[in-house]
Formats: sequence, structure tokens, C-alpha cells
Amino acid sequence: MADEPTLPTLPPPLPVGDRKKRRRNLDSPPTQSSASSDPAFFSSDDDPALDNYHHNGRRKKRYVGTWFNQQPASSDSAMGEESLPSYPPPRRNRPPQPQKREFRRQLDSGVWMGTEGSLTDTDDSFDLEPAAAKFPVASPRTKVLVSAPPTFSPQELAAQRIARTCVERGTEQVDLSSLSLETVSPEVVKLISEISPIPTVTRDVAFEQRDPEIQLYLSQNLFRSFPTAILNLEHLTLLSLRANNLDQIPPAIGKLTNLEALNLGQNFIRVFPGEMLNLLHRGSKLRNLGFQPNRFWQPDTTIATADTIATTTARSDEYDNLTYPNRPTTKLESSWSGMTTKIHSRSAVQFMDGTHQTLSRFALPDIPGARGAPIELESLTSLAVPKEFAPKIRQSTTPTNKAFNPKGARSLFELALRAGITSPQVEEVRAWALHAEDAPRHFSPVVERAVKIHREGGVRCAVCGRDTLIPMAQWVEFRRIGRTTITVDADGKEVEKFTELGGAGEELPVPFLMVGCSWSCIPAKLEKEVDVKGTT
Amino acid sequence: MSDSKYITLVSGDGFEFVVLREAALVSPTIKGMLRSPFVEAQTGRCTFPEFNAIILEKVVDYFHYWHRNQDKEDVPDMEIPVEMCLELLMAANYFNLDAKPTPRD
Repeated sequence: MADEPTLPTLPPPLPVGDRKKRRRNLDSPPTQSSASSDPAFFSSDDDPALDNYHHNGRRKKRYVGTWFNQQPASSDSAMGEESLPSYPPPRRNRPPQPQKREFRRQLDSGVWMGTEGSLTDTDDSFDLEPAAAKFPVASPRTKVLVSAPPTFSPQELAAQRIARTCVERGTEQVDLSSLSLETVSPEVVKLISEISPIPTVTRDVAFEQRDPEIQLYLSQNLFRSFPTAILNLEHLTLLSLRANNLDQIPPAIGKLTNLEALNLGQNFIRVFPGEMLNLLHRGSKLRNLGFQPNRFWQPDTTIATADTIATTTARSDEYDNLTYPNRPTTKLESSWSGMTTKIHSRSAVQFMDGTHQTLSRFALPDIPGARGAPIELESLTSLAVPKEFAPKIRQSTTPTNKAFNPKGARSLFELALRAGITSPQVEEVRAWALHAEDAPRHFSPVVERAVKIHREGGVRCAVCGRDTLIPMAQWVEFRRIGRTTITVDADGKEVEKFTELGGAGEELPVPFLMVGCSWSCIPAKLEKEVDVKGTT
Repeated sequence: MSDSKYITLVSGDGFEFVVLREAALVSPTIKGMLRSPFVEAQTGRCTFPEFNAIILEKVVDYFHYWHRNQDKEDVPDMEIPVEMCLELLMAANYFNLDAKPTPRD
């Protein structure tokens, strides 16, 4: 029988320990009476997706045995405590396990995939007694922290409705006049900025999306301050604020360079910001400007001397060229017509230091105040400066200080102020300047003024063009507003014609508040005019 | 010692900053301290117990920033962290760096 084929060798026997364990478990079957290989658990909730929760301290109720043998063990049960299920009581003398096995749902796949450990004594999931049902204790009602939706006044809702209609129809004329509005909300401005015109589609014309030309009528409302939100409307071509209660115009109006018509009449405006001259120089788009009636400051012409009032346009241009050498001059290619201004007269310059203290004899009246006395004028050929700095101003060859070097390094005070005010913590800075005991008393007005300047979109120095939070000089220029027509003749020479609005001499000139960021950003002194003296 | 090119600024918590004398003279306060009758003029050492090292360092930064840029135009602004701005406002006030026109002689 030597050639009898041999059977392949048997696989090595399973480790004894394992086998023993399994046998022991099989011999003494677990306490459940289920014939399934599944551990005899069921959950109190039927939705399998709910099985895995473990958080919030809530514990899933677990039962051992078949469901039909169970009675709810919770204290709120109608059956009471005496009808406890008939499974053996949990072993209490078990040594404490170092860590609990995590209970996982086991789906019956029909294949035994359990590890050896899963049925050993370490499996403590049998030992859990049914947890008492926990009901969430009705906690005291906590305050809901969701901010209430903004409530709009009926006027505001009417404005929004009109703006929305304009967006729907693509009309560029937004008529919000006579709505008793007190301000223009950002919501309305957002709607208006969404207006896009319907392009004209005709034969042989390339389809082109053009920029909207928004016309905004806000006349006959109740604005007490300029609605600064509309300054973000870049494509504004017409703005009417006629018949409101405005007394100031923010300097940032100079950003609205697409304006072709602007009506500010029938308000209480004392003075226009110097930045408005951005809209009123040659090459600008403004064609119509309504500004009367208003409560403008008046020049005091009673003590005027020979050189106080610029009588000729040449004299005005000389002043502008000398004082504002950095103002960009636009090269005109064809004839142009628009609104411009010519200097009529100028007040003295109010010199201030960095702490908002006036150092000069002359000071402008406060803007919210009454119209007050006429503004004292200064001759265009002279310039009153505080005595101690007189030799330095305009003659300073080596700029050493913020006061005399406008484009040089800013002062530490201004740098720190700017950092504080442009940050989101502005209110804290203001409160500190107002209330802190160690803050010097002069801080508060400086901070208040800087906050105001920042809110209104910043002030630019009229002379050097730098933005500043601490103006060091200010003066008023009375200007005649008129229409200039420039025609370019065949030789390429420009012929300029200036016609004052309302006819010369009939209307008083309009004041513009000019701001200088340093003590050398001040108006230029003209030479004494010889030929005028000769003729008079 | 008094004619040294550098001076030493000491903060309230004991840190010392060695600064170019010329740069520190932007502050009229320091300029006044370095005038002859005072002890600081002899030692070249100024103590500022009001300010801690963090603030004084920024002030010293500013001195040099100003010194570098004093004759230039269109200077970029020095960065100021927002959390320091209140203390720096106080420091600017103390050192008279608040844009008060103080013509240098």
C-alpha cells in the first residue's frame, strides 16, 4: 500500500485558546433566546439612521431579548415597575472594564464575521440595564438671539417699491421725489445700482452694453443731512436734491464725476465743499447746476480794497494757476461747453494746529450756526499768517515738518489717529477720547472731527491733493459760477468764453470751503496788478 | 558723552533703545530734555516711566521713519497696529509729535 496516494496534510489546528473560547460560549449560550446570529438587540427607535447618536448625553435605550418579551422599563411606563422583563439581572461583580466597547449596529449579513473577541466575556453590552427614559427638561425660555428683521417705514417701503419697478423695467429715471424721505437707505441704493438699461437693438449696429445713466430725483423730501449712500452710485448723471433741508454737502460729492445735472436749490447750504470744483472745471461733464436759493455765506464787500476782487477772468485764472499748480488740465480735442467757476474773492486763511486750535486771527464761523455776519475778505495780493511762522511759510527750502512739507511723513499723531478711525473700533476710540481720564482734553474735538471727515468720505487737500484727517488750514473762496464755451478754431487755438449765470453782478458769488493739509498748502499771493490800477 | 551720536531711551519696564540723536530730536520733548542744564544732557540717557517697551519701540520706529523720510515726498504711511493706536496717541501727545508746527532751527 505504499503507492496509495496520500492526502494533503491537514491544516494546522486552530489555536487552542480560540477554540476553547468559542466552545465555551456555544456551550453556555447567551441569555437571549433568539435563534439569529445577531446579537439580540433592538433599538427603541425603528429608524436605523437614528442608531448612531451618542451625543447630548442622551442614551439610546437598549434591551436584551426578544421584543415581545419586553416591557418598557422606564418609569413613565403605564405598566409600572413590577412587570420587569425576564432576563437575568446584570452581573454586578464584574471588575470594572478599562474602556467600554462602542456599540455598533450589526446588520445580519448571513455570514459570521465577528471576531473572536466579540463574544467573549469582555463584551459588556449585555450588562447594561435598560436606561431610564429621559425627557428633555423644559428649560427656561432662552432669549432668541436672531436679530429682528429690519422694519421699514412706509416711506422707505414706497421708495423701495419705486426703485424695484425701475429695476424691472430698466428705466433709468428714479423718481423718489415728494415721499417725505429722511434718508436714502442702502437697500434702495443697492436696487438703484442694479438698474441696467435695455440696449437699443437696431440693424447694422453692433450690440453693445452701455453703462446706465441714472437720473435720481430726490426733490421735496425731508433730508436734513446729505444721503451719503448715494455717493456710491457711480453712474449717476442727474441728481436733484431740490427743496430739502440740507445745510452741508459732503466733500465726497466730488467723486460723482459723471454728473451732468445737479440741483441743490432751495436748501439751507452755507458753503459748498472745495471738492465740488472737481465737477466744475474744464472738461468735466456737468452742464447744469442749480444752486439758488440757499443760505450761502456772503462776502463782506464793504471794506474791499482794489485787489480784493478779481475783476477780470485773466486775474482769476492767474490765481487758479498759481494756487493749484497740481490740478490736472484736460486736453480738449474739440469744442467744449460746461459749467466752470472763476474766483471772485477770498477770505483770509484760518491756520490751525494739529489739535484743532486756531492760531490765526481769522476764523470761519461754525457751519451749523446761523448765516451770521458776512465773511471778511482778504486782498488777493496779501496773506495774513500767524506771526511766529511768517518767515517759514512758503519760503521754507528744507521741508522739515508736517506743517511745511505736505507730502512728507505724517505725524505720529495722525498715523495713530488714522489707524484707530479706519478700524472697526471707531466707537471705542471716540469713547476713550471723550471719557478716559488720562486722555488730554483736546483729543476729543480732534477725534470727533476726524471721524466726521472719515464718514463723509475723506477730505482732500485743495492744493496738494493729499487726503487728510487733520486739516491745518482752511479758507473760503467766493466764486462766480458760469458757463464756459471753448471752441477750437482751425489753427488749434482755443477760444474761451465765460458767461456768468444770471448775468454779471446780479447774483452774489458762491462760497467754496477750501482745505489745506499743511501750512504750505495755502493760497498763492498774487502780484499787485499794475494795469488795473492804471485804469482805475 | 553729551556729544555722542546716539542717545539711549529707557522704557518704564527697563528696556533700552539706542537711537540716533538726530532722529530723536524730531520730538521737541526729547530736544528739551537734552538741553544742557538737565542730567539727560550729560548722560545721553532719557527714561520714560510712562511707556512700556512695546510703545516706546514703535515711537523709536517712528523717529527713524521720520529721519529717513524727512526730505522726501509722497512717503508711504508707517503701519500702526490698531491695538496700539490709543497708547500711541498718548505717546504722540507726550513727545509732541502731533503735527504742531514747531519749526526746527
